[in-house]
Amino acid sequence: MKNYTITKNNKILSFGLIAFGVVGIAYGFATDPTRTWASLLQSNFFLLAIALCGLFFYTFQFAAEAGWAAGILRVPLAMAQFLPHACVALLLIFIFGHHDLYHWTHAELYDKNSPHFDEILYGKKAFLNIPFFVIRLILYGIIWAGSAVLLRKYALEEDRVGGTENYWKTSKLSHVFLVLFAITSSTGAWDILMSVDAHWFSTLFGWYIFSGLFVTGLTVMGILTIYLKRNGYFPKVNENHIHDIGKYMFAFSIFWTYLWFSQFMLIWYANLPEEVAYYALRQEPELRPIFILNFVINFTIPFLVLMSRDSKRKENTVLVAGALMIIGHWLDVWLIVMPGIMGTHAHIGIIEIGATCFFAGLFLYVFFNSMSKTAVVPENHPMIEESYHFYL
Amino acid sequence: MYEAPIREPLILGDKTNHDITEDICRPIEGKANKYWWWCFIVAVAALLWWVLCVAITVGEGIGVWGINNIVDWGWDITNFVWWVGIGHAGTLISAVLLLFRQKWRLSINRSAEAMTIFAVICAATFLLTHIGRPWLPYWLLPLPNQFGSLWVNFNSPLIWDTFAVTTYFTVSLVFWYTGLIPDFAVIRDRAKTSATKFWYGLLAFGWTGSSKNWQRFEEVSLVLAGISTPLVLSVHTIVSMDFATSVLPGWHATIFPPYFVAGAIFSGFAMVQTLLIITRKVLGLENYITTLHIDMMNRIILVTGSIVGIAYITEFFIAWYSGVEYESYCFINRATGYYWWAYASMMTCNVVSPQLFWFKKLRTNITFTFVLSIVVNIGMWFERFVIIVSSLHRAFVPSEWGTYHPSWVEVGIYVGSLGLFFTLFLLFARFFPVIAMSELKTIVKSSSTQAKREALKHGHSHVSHH
Amino acid sequence: MSKYIFAVYNDEDVLMQNIKPLRSQGVRIKEVFSPFPIHGMDHLIGHKRTRIAICSFIYGAIGCLLAIWMTQYMMIADWPMDIGGKPSFAYYKNVPAFVPIIFESAVFCAAHGMVLTFYLRSKTLPGVTAFVPDKRMTDDRFIMQVECNDASKKADLTNLLLKHGAEEVKEYGK
Repeated sequence: MKNYTITKNNKILSFGLIAFGVVGIAYGFATDPTRTWASLLQSNFFLLAIALCGLFFYTFQFAAEAGWAAGILRVPLAMAQFLPHACVALLLIFIFGHHDLYHWTHAELYDKNSPHFDEILYGKKAFLNIPFFVIRLILYGIIWAGSAVLLRKYALEEDRVGGTENYWKTSKLSHVFLVLFAITSSTGAWDILMSVDAHWFSTLFGWYIFSGLFVTGLTVMGILTIYLKRNGYFPKVNENHIHDIGKYMFAFSIFWTYLWFSQFMLIWYANLPEEVAYYALRQEPELRPIFILNFVINFTIPFLVLMSRDSKRKENTVLVAGALMIIGHWLDVWLIVMPGIMGTHAHIGIIEIGATCFFAGLFLYVFFNSMSKTAVVPENHPMIEESYHFYL
Repeated sequence: MYEAPIREPLILGDKTNHDITEDICRPIEGKANKYWWWCFIVAVAALLWWVLCVAITVGEGIGVWGINNIVDWGWDITNFVWWVGIGHAGTLISAVLLLFRQKWRLSINRSAEAMTIFAVICAATFLLTHIGRPWLPYWLLPLPNQFGSLWVNFNSPLIWDTFAVTTYFTVSLVFWYTGLIPDFAVIRDRAKTSATKFWYGLLAFGWTGSSKNWQRFEEVSLVLAGISTPLVLSVHTIVSMDFATSVLPGWHATIFPPYFVAGAIFSGFAMVQTLLIITRKVLGLENYITTLHIDMMNRIILVTGSIVGIAYITEFFIAWYSGVEYESYCFINRATGYYWWAYASMMTCNVVSPQLFWFKKLRTNITFTFVLSIVVNIGMWFERFVIIVSSLHRAFVPSEWGTYHPSWVEVGIYVGSLGLFFTLFLLFARFFPVIAMSELKTIVKSSSTQAKREALKHGHSHVSHH
Repeated sequence: MSKYIFAVYNDEDVLMQNIKPLRSQGVRIKEVFSPFPIHGMDHLIGHKRTRIAICSFIYGAIGCLLAIWMTQYMMIADWPMDIGGKPSFAYYKNVPAFVPIIFESAVFCAAHGMVLTFYLRSKTLPGVTAFVPDKRMTDDRFIMQVECNDASKKADLTNLLLKHGAEEVKEYGK
């Protein structure tokens, strides 16, 4: 059983990104702390969700008794190992930056004698208050990171002893995680992202966030799989497996477009002031180009590039489309967080890019490190043969 | 294709290709048994009742229904949404499960697709009767209104519905028929009487099964599956938009499109269970529609039921969270108001009862599954009733408050539509192959009991070789 | 017109394994008839990849354009209406409300266009008389259609086919 060896280039890349990120963040705190907190929240959530989607992919392969991906399962599992780091970072960002990030954390909004008294937020006090919010963040951390760590333990055990006992154990925990994920993916999205615009609400929001980040997670998984394959770690992963990942990227991009359209169109059509304010802000002249670009990249690129069978089977096409889709969904999260905090003064500059590089570097380091400690291919997985004999 | 030994067989009883042909063609070639006749007589009686109630509605006008100025959509649209929703499972099984390469779909896709078509026919009858003047259906088409110069209103979700239901019905029909062609050819080639040979020969369109035709056939199936998947999502999405584009609390929710789709799949799978549990028994297909198939469908019922449950709770929570008093009132009124019993039935049948399927014992219990599949469809009927009636009966101002009770004609049309549905399904089960033989034969070498035994033997020798 | 004989196989794998050896001995295989689709058979007997999916894409694109034209002409150009505070005076302002129709129209044309193309190209149409070399070909036999223009070589060819796994060798309809 072969483990991954961290190369010098991996280290240069991870630490380089982190170093560049630290510079960007430091520059940000010196010039515009609110913007910096906002971009830290955005970047942290973006990478957290990629890791979470890794875990989601890993677990539903067990719940669905899928065989084709058995050979590459260690990639999403290693992605998920970033969750403990991301959850701690999220908690720290909230504790130190909540006044900059979340309007609803200001005490005077709930004081009936204050000129800033906000009746609507007062009504939400039972849900949006700092102690309960922190409790929820900790709960998400325990559920998400805890499952990731535990599932990795079972995987290591499977490598060591073989047999199907750990397969069934993983399967059981996967079901538990999926049930909890079904709830926490929605409530997490409301808490971390939707409460940035504390007055606004949309019942679809949780599922919309899930769809976008599932696409991103799959794309990152595809890119990392191709990387490992090109370095000789996946001798038995072939164009059929890439094809299937490409199908997922394509299908869930369409699903994202569907949910984007459903949410936008229904709010646009009914035109209720309390709902439409969210899109009105994002349609201001300063933000409109990004609003349109977000939709165009995330729909047209996968739709046109990944539709044909041949393009999904070519690694390079998947890589190029994937890179653009990651940028697209980064913009999607940006459009949710930054205008909510900065209004029309939201920008994309060294601060935003730096913050993302920081977390991306961290993510990559954790990923490579985790890959180097488990077998790259789970050879004791009961469906591994099926994964090898898989063709489309 | 290679299959992991951990997987259970999908065809029991050591069936060969020829056995499959025999077993599936037997009910068509023989005489109908007395169960079939009894079912058919009851179904046709209900169908006649439907004809009577529709005739009264058309003759007298929809004033014979219980709907009024306040609650202007009642059982008609409830039944329409219910039937369209049931139809979704057939497309899901034949299209989405094909894309996900789920082999267990092969024994059930034919009858599930037939169910789709019949359910959509039933749904369409409610659309046509509820417009009041069913002799003017072309007003729904993009023609100049009354052949003057005014066009239909493309901003209206009801016109989107026309397009969606038409597309869905015709595409499903074509998908189903294309799959049936090779199976009609099977009956044609083994026909004993010249009448059978003539009719099935006509239906088979001269199919030969050459490899070129199979190549195109497979590509067409794949592409149809690919476009039916967004199509099936779009249909219930557009149905949900009939409500969600309005500003009425309880109707206007962004979660409606995916939540309606999940609910549709949920109720559709329940209906597939109801039908197949009877069909497998009456036609003796227990070796093809096994407990594994029933288990798999129950898992989907569990997943979609849970998704629907999460959507209910999300709506309830966001109604409070929104801080909009009308929204909050609407949901409290649903649970505690005049129609609380409908809400309670919906919650019990749709959210609580499918959770029992976490237990494998219950998932694989045929009687329990049968009962629960009916419970689920009762629950899903109440869901539509709750959404439509309980939202309408308490709108913004007291002058928009009222109640609604169905008249016997409305109830009659609903009961009669079940007759229409079962009549069509019974005719299908009598004259068409209920299992896609040509598709099922593709897995004889990988998923039958004899193949599993062979693989196990091979697996053992493989191990001892090391 | 070429003449053909038909080799009957009772196992698809045996038939597939023997295509190459038969070919290398100069046997010309025209077609294979089977009761169900066999993965890789089209490739093995040298059929070109079908372009029916591309047709479907083109039909879908036509359906999409047709609906765009229809909504633009009927709602914006010919009889603009102000509905729900959304005056239809510019297409881009109203297009979200037209998306469902554009989508349905694209799907309608893509699906029906493709299926019609399939029926016409494969000559599967109502009233067509089927080519049935052996009645069991839709049940459990696999029929290989082999060219045999020279009647004197028929016996040799039959023996060769029988040696290569065929259960029996026959002429059309006999």
